[in-house]
Amino acid sequence: MKIPVTEKTEILVIGGGAAGMAAALAACRNGKQVLLVEHDGELGGILRQCVHRGFGLAAFREDLTGREYAARFVSAVRGSDITVRTGTTVLSLEEEGSGDEDAFPCAEGSGDEDAFPCAEGSGDGCISRFTERSALLSGPEGLYRVSFDQCVLATGCRERNLGSLGLAGTRPAGIFTAGTAQQLMGRGGLCIGRRIVILGCGDFGMIMARQFTLAGLEVVAMIEKMDHPGGLARNRKECLEAFRIPVILRTVVDGILGEGRITGVMARDLQTGRRYEIACDTLVTAVGLIPDRTLCRGLERADGVLPSWLHLCGNCESVHDLVDSVSREAEALGRRL
Amino acid sequence: MSGSFSVQYTDAAVVGAGVLGCFAARALAALDIRVTVLEQREDVCTGITRANTGIIYTGCDNRPGSLKARMCVEASRSFDGLCRDLGVRFDRCGSLMLAFGPRAENVLRKKMGFGRANGVEGLRILGRDEVLAMEPRISSEVTAALYAPGTGTIDPWELGIAAYENAKANGVDFRFGQRLVRMEREAGGFLLETDEERIHARTVINCAGLSSDAVREMLEIPAVRIFPTAADYIVLDDTLRGFVKHVIFHEPEEKGKGLTLVPTVDGTLLVGATEREVPAGSRGGTDREGLQALSGLCAKVVPGLPLSEQIRNFSALRPNPYHVVEKGGVWVPADRSVNDFTILSEEGLISLIGIKTPGLGCAEQLGRHCAALAAGFLGNPGPNPRFDPMRRAPVRLHGMPEDARAGVISRDPDYGRIVCLCGDVSLGEIKDAVRRGAVTLDGVKRRTGAGMGRCQSARCMKAVMETLAEGQRIPVEDVMKDGAGSYVLEK
Ligand SMILES: Cc1cc2nc3c(=O)[nH]c(=O)nc-3n(C[C@H](O)[C@H](O)[C@H](O)COP(=O)(O)OP(=O)(O)OC[C@H]3O[C@@H](n4cnc5c(N)ncnc54)[C@H](O)[C@@H]3O)c2cc1C
Ligand SMILES: Cc1cc2nc3c(=O)[nH]c(=O)nc-3n(C[C@H](O)[C@H](O)[C@H](O)COP(=O)(O)OP(=O)(O)OC[C@H]3O[C@@H](n4cnc5c(N)ncnc54)[C@H](O)[C@@H]3O)c2cc1C
Repeated sequence: MKIPVTEKTEILVIGGGAAGMAAALAACRNGKQVLLVEHDGELGGILRQCVHRGFGLAAFREDLTGREYAARFVSAVRGSDITVRTGTTVLSLEEEGSGDEDAFPCAEGSGDEDAFPCAEGSGDGCISRFTERSALLSGPEGLYRVSFDQCVLATGCRERNLGSLGLAGTRPAGIFTAGTAQQLMGRGGLCIGRRIVILGCGDFGMIMARQFTLAGLEVVAMIEKMDHPGGLARNRKECLEAFRIPVILRTVVDGILGEGRITGVMARDLQTGRRYEIACDTLVTAVGLIPDRTLCRGLERADGVLPSWLHLCGNCESVHDLVDSVSREAEALGRRL
Repeated sequence: MSGSFSVQYTDAAVVGAGVLGCFAARALAALDIRVTVLEQREDVCTGITRANTGIIYTGCDNRPGSLKARMCVEASRSFDGLCRDLGVRFDRCGSLMLAFGPRAENVLRKKMGFGRANGVEGLRILGRDEVLAMEPRISSEVTAALYAPGTGTIDPWELGIAAYENAKANGVDFRFGQRLVRMEREAGGFLLETDEERIHARTVINCAGLSSDAVREMLEIPAVRIFPTAADYIVLDDTLRGFVKHVIFHEPEEKGKGLTLVPTVDGTLLVGATEREVPAGSRGGTDREGLQALSGLCAKVVPGLPLSEQIRNFSALRPNPYHVVEKGGVWVPADRSVNDFTILSEEGLISLIGIKTPGLGCAEQLGRHCAALAAGFLGNPGPNPRFDPMRRAPVRLHGMPEDARAGVISRDPDYGRIVCLCGDVSLGEIKDAVRRGAVTLDGVKRRTGAGMGRCQSARCMKAVMETLAEGQRIPVEDVMKDGAGSYVLEK
């Protein structure tokens, strides 16, 4: 049986990373009632694991670490009227009723029609006025349903991983996505391996190559299928060149070797077709980020358009290179709500 | 050296804790005897049981009169009850075996005949239009299909783990990390040796999977040997839930392996399985050409299947049994592979050798069969008066009705803390899996589904490792992914 709505908010923000925090702050300053929900035990999102500098150059004209950048927003959120629930996950979003009388939420209570504003430009006229939008939340306090007027989806992105690349071979230990490696090293101070091959030479891969080198680990090679490293010029200079990271271009990994722990990868040169083994004890994949819109499933209209009460921002909207633009865009969105 | 051995006495020793060993142990636990299981690995279901197709067959593939046919039909009929007792998810989704031409249509008719003779109910041969109405994503080149409404799917390790937990609750002593290295007959039974233990047993049930021939040959001369071949599989994301609603078997028109599509109980879509030679002793790994062959078959059978949604591929080893003869000092296959289940009973040593499909579905039947043979050697002991066939299944939040889920969280807030976002798995479930015997990341994954989804543990690995370390009171650096040597971190 479904559980009933037990809580209401005007704005529900899902995800407490850079995007969610900025959107929540702007909406709150705008006089809105905001509930900010974060899956993790703390606010900050991906910034929490970024120990390197390069954040805030545009927003604060300062060169901050990811954590420092996050800390500024976290303290602003904590000092605001935003209701924050960490350790809490939104399991699903739904929209119910469509003009049918049982689902007429404005009929009782305050009669405050503004609480359920007519969707603008959604093309479905006043039908949406009668709908109730709610989210199912799971946290240490329990499982509960919260209704809202507008929802900001700021769930960030997830990393593409080896599984989706369809590589052949064994499935040993010692294979991590860059994000997992960063999480284990940064937040836990744990050591993921000694001789590391990094697959993918974009920003994330380059930053991790530097972080590994600084931690005393050997980056055996970065393998990149394009004919040049991707990412920001700044990272090519400060990570690749400064630390003399060996990069193998026009090459892919097409096999995994080793049984208990990984012992190497099969590299394939895309130009010559030559396959050869590169020994390593760790493989880190940095092969792309995918906006995480799992919660949108089932909400798309027939034409694929999302309902007008659902707003995407930050990496969940599109993958951003710079956090400053994430914050700026999210703030603009928050003000409009 | 021998001073450091621990010495045990037991009535029945089971070698191997795959699904068959676990069900043999469960059936033996129903008798009033001592039962000990020796498993070389750290956990149950790490062998063939962890990587297979997970289909519960109806019995229309097996020649009438065979043990396979009898057991498979019986298993299919009783499977809902078994899963209820053990708290295992089972989806009787039905299957369609597709033909794309006359050769395959002949095969369908032959299987229909087998099925009828075996007493399988509800079988029908469908024409093209009917097939396409039931499964619109199948290629319109299809010409006919055999519909078997009784076919179902399970998570294979879930069944094996359930049997393990139930056997253990009924008093079976499972000893992990104990590889049988030597065995000899002695007065009144057998002496079994691992690197750490000596076990005196009155009867031995050999369920050693791929090594079942080698275990038997510790005492007997070779008769049936296993010559493994490998299989490749691809798993597609649960975004494709409902892409096909039935298990789809494609019976190829040409010689060679067909395609199988399984809508799993987890909502993912399993695509399998190739068959290829492997070097002796190989532990597997997928093969590039094998994976390509699968995508080629998909393009033919289900042309719109987005293989871009793949989240993982894996390989399996088939334990093909062959009668062997000695030729110049080596044992070579004598004929075509043995078709029926091979159960050898040799003066108290009972061996299940090279049990292939439908061994998973027939695990309960095979286990009972072994227990009955063992009981004969043990002088037909009475029943265990305290035997309880019901397992207290772990909580699985995903898919649970909301009010029930809310109740679980109100009793233990850890069930409110989601750890694995893809699989909707909570901290409470992970802690419970560790209490129930998970000692590795993969052990947690098999028990809870954490790390099995599209992000493949990228987001939950750290939290799961910490829970494993805490639950076992070990440093996080000692957490393994899987078996020996699969350490996740450096010290
Ligand atoms: C390795 C790396 C290096 C970077 N380096 C720089 C740099 O040097 N300079 C720079 O300016 N930018 C950098 N960036 C970019 C910038 O940090 C990110 O674009 C930005 O932080 C993304 O913020 P976000 O809020 O969109 O996503 P995230 O920070 O990922 O936040 C999403 C949050 O949503 C939560 N969540 C997800 N699903 C749910 C749910 N169902 N319920 C509740 N909560 C949920 C998650 O737990 C997470 O906390 C870097 C990014 C990466 C990955
Ligand atoms: C590719 C494939 C697909 C299949 N599909 C299906 C299907 O769809 N439906 C179906 O019904 N059946 C299917 N089967 C068959 C089914 O999976 C097997 O019959 C079943 O899993 C065999 O279980 P087991 O317990 O014998 O083997 P395992 O799970 O391998 O267990 C054997 C255990 O013995 C242990 N062991 C070995 N040697 C020793 C030793 N010396 N000392 C201690 N322990 C030892 C191993 O570590 C292992 O844990 C399939 C099989 C394969 C290979």
